[in-house]
Amino acid sequence: MFLIGHGISVRSDLPIPEWLFGWAATMVLVVSFVALAVLWPEPRLQKPTWRPLPGGIGRGLASRPVEIICGAIGIFLFGLTIYAGLRGTESTTANFAPIFIYVIFWLGLVPLSVLFGDVFRAFNPWRAIGRAVAWVARTAGRTELPAPLEYPAWLGRWPAAVGIFAFATMELVASNGDKPDSLAVAALAYSAVTFIGMALYGVDRWIDRGEAFSVYFNLFSRLSVVETREGEVGLRRPLSGLPRLESLPGTVALISVMIGSVSFDGFTGKRPWNSISPDIAQFFQDLGLSPQNALEATFTLGLIGGVLFVAGFYWLGVLGARSVGGGFSARRLAHEFAHTLVPIALAYVAAHYFTLLLFQGQGILYLISDPLGKGSDIFGTADTQIDYTLIGANATWYWQVAFVVAGHVAALMLAHDRALALYEDKRQAVRSQYWMLAVMVGFTSLALWLLSSANT
Amino acid sequence: MSRNQRIGLIVAAVLVAVLAFVIASPGDDDEGDQAAQTTTTPQAETETETSPTETESSPTETEAEAPAPTKAVVTGIEIRAGEVVGGPAEIRVTHGDRVLLTVTSDAPDDIHLHGYDIEKKVAPGQPAKFRFIAELEGEFEIESHVAEDAGRDPLVGTLIVEPR
Repeated sequence: MFLIGHGISVRSDLPIPEWLFGWAATMVLVVSFVALAVLWPEPRLQKPTWRPLPGGIGRGLASRPVEIICGAIGIFLFGLTIYAGLRGTESTTANFAPIFIYVIFWLGLVPLSVLFGDVFRAFNPWRAIGRAVAWVARTAGRTELPAPLEYPAWLGRWPAAVGIFAFATMELVASNGDKPDSLAVAALAYSAVTFIGMALYGVDRWIDRGEAFSVYFNLFSRLSVVETREGEVGLRRPLSGLPRLESLPGTVALISVMIGSVSFDGFTGKRPWNSISPDIAQFFQDLGLSPQNALEATFTLGLIGGVLFVAGFYWLGVLGARSVGGGFSARRLAHEFAHTLVPIALAYVAAHYFTLLLFQGQGILYLISDPLGKGSDIFGTADTQIDYTLIGANATWYWQVAFVVAGHVAALMLAHDRALALYEDKRQAVRSQYWMLAVMVGFTSLALWLLSSANT
Repeated sequence: MSRNQRIGLIVAAVLVAVLAFVIASPGDDDEGDQAAQTTTTPQAETETETSPTETESSPTETEAEAPAPTKAVVTGIEIRAGEVVGGPAEIRVTHGDRVLLTVTSDAPDDIHLHGYDIEKKVAPGQPAKFRFIAELEGEFEIESHVAEDAGRDPLVGTLIVEPR
């Protein structure tokens, strides 16, 4: 084995014991059964309420000075990451770049988005640079910039799906994916792609549809009660943000990548994968690949398999829902229910990675004092150690189960509400829900199984 | 269905959940036994001797019942020609156990136990002795820094600490 998988985690969670796994899986079924009976008979989430924060706070939070400060912080952190990656030590855990990218940015922004709304939009360095460049060009040239190209309708969220898949490959497959300099180079290459996209289609259009991380964190922020609307921050009813997700091509693909990549990360610790992967790697070696490349090819195959499995399972549910009638095409149904998978994706990320964020995230304390890992001590925190006693195995298991079940419940509510809005016939709405319910129970059970000691 | 019926159904579901949880959750006794049996690993020579507890290890937060006594776990990892004899070791202990892990190698090396963050030098004829109380739960990697610097797989073993 070469260094592959989660290069930054030197501690991993113990698997959930089988009894707790069985109990939690049973609970998911009970919850689903009760949900079918007690959920509301009229759609409630489709027309959201939104109220600005009182006292002008909402307007202040979304004002130009705040935007500029947040953007500047984002650009500074981006620059520091690139600098540390290129100039710092090559040790993964002693360099600012890998921990910041994989833990603080990739994992830390998820709970922040769910709690406080689309935080990344404010701090997004690419958006800030794009807007600054546009402002400078307008001011210096004293003319309006030429209008950007029309964003092709068929492109939808496909660039974001491809971007997140590439990031997952970097994280889970590439053997140098945890090396600071490779990460810095990858970040620069991604920046180039983003700047080209923004130049072609306009800053905000590319950020909304094509820029992978903006789209990714925006999906999670739709679970938040905080929403910025027309330059003002306000509050909305829980879960009312997701039903307004525009149905665009590539959305199902993006969410499949999100769930599929986490599933694959969990699956690599399971017996079925560990018994089959050496054979696949051997096959690639026989084709003439080096052992390391053969392993990377094997993991790429596994990652693609995970994504296809998730997408296929969702489409199966959609085809089932179509069979109850109502005259909707499978494509239409797939898009109408895509948003209901977002809480499930969140549950996967939360249950799999919250201890990684909790423990490895503490690394940022010593890294801000010594970002290059070369012995500086800027804030006097360079000697801080990671406190692994924060949470024990038992508490971890209960949190994992709680995340998974909560995600399942939220998904059920969203699907139920959408079905009521979509079908004129109430009985058809309920019958279509049997299929969606099967999909969600499937995903939730898979999440629990991946976390459990069953069949490891 | 009326509002009260809905609430009643939810209450019933919660009761079922609690009851199922109580029935499903195992007593601590068999958990403790299980952990003691699995201490022997095929790769590393492991001797387990039970001795009365005298460590200052803190009890876990969950059970109030008397926990199984902590053990002393003596185990070893042998590195020969850059490879772990028998493959990377899997060392299973229970929270609070006192562990003595001896790493021997036929070449100079730096061995790092993550999480507990103990780093020891090892050389031919000079084994590295890791002595600690297993108070952090989870799976922790034991790595060779020489292998890591050489671009080989640095993993020499995994320490698995299960809750009591």
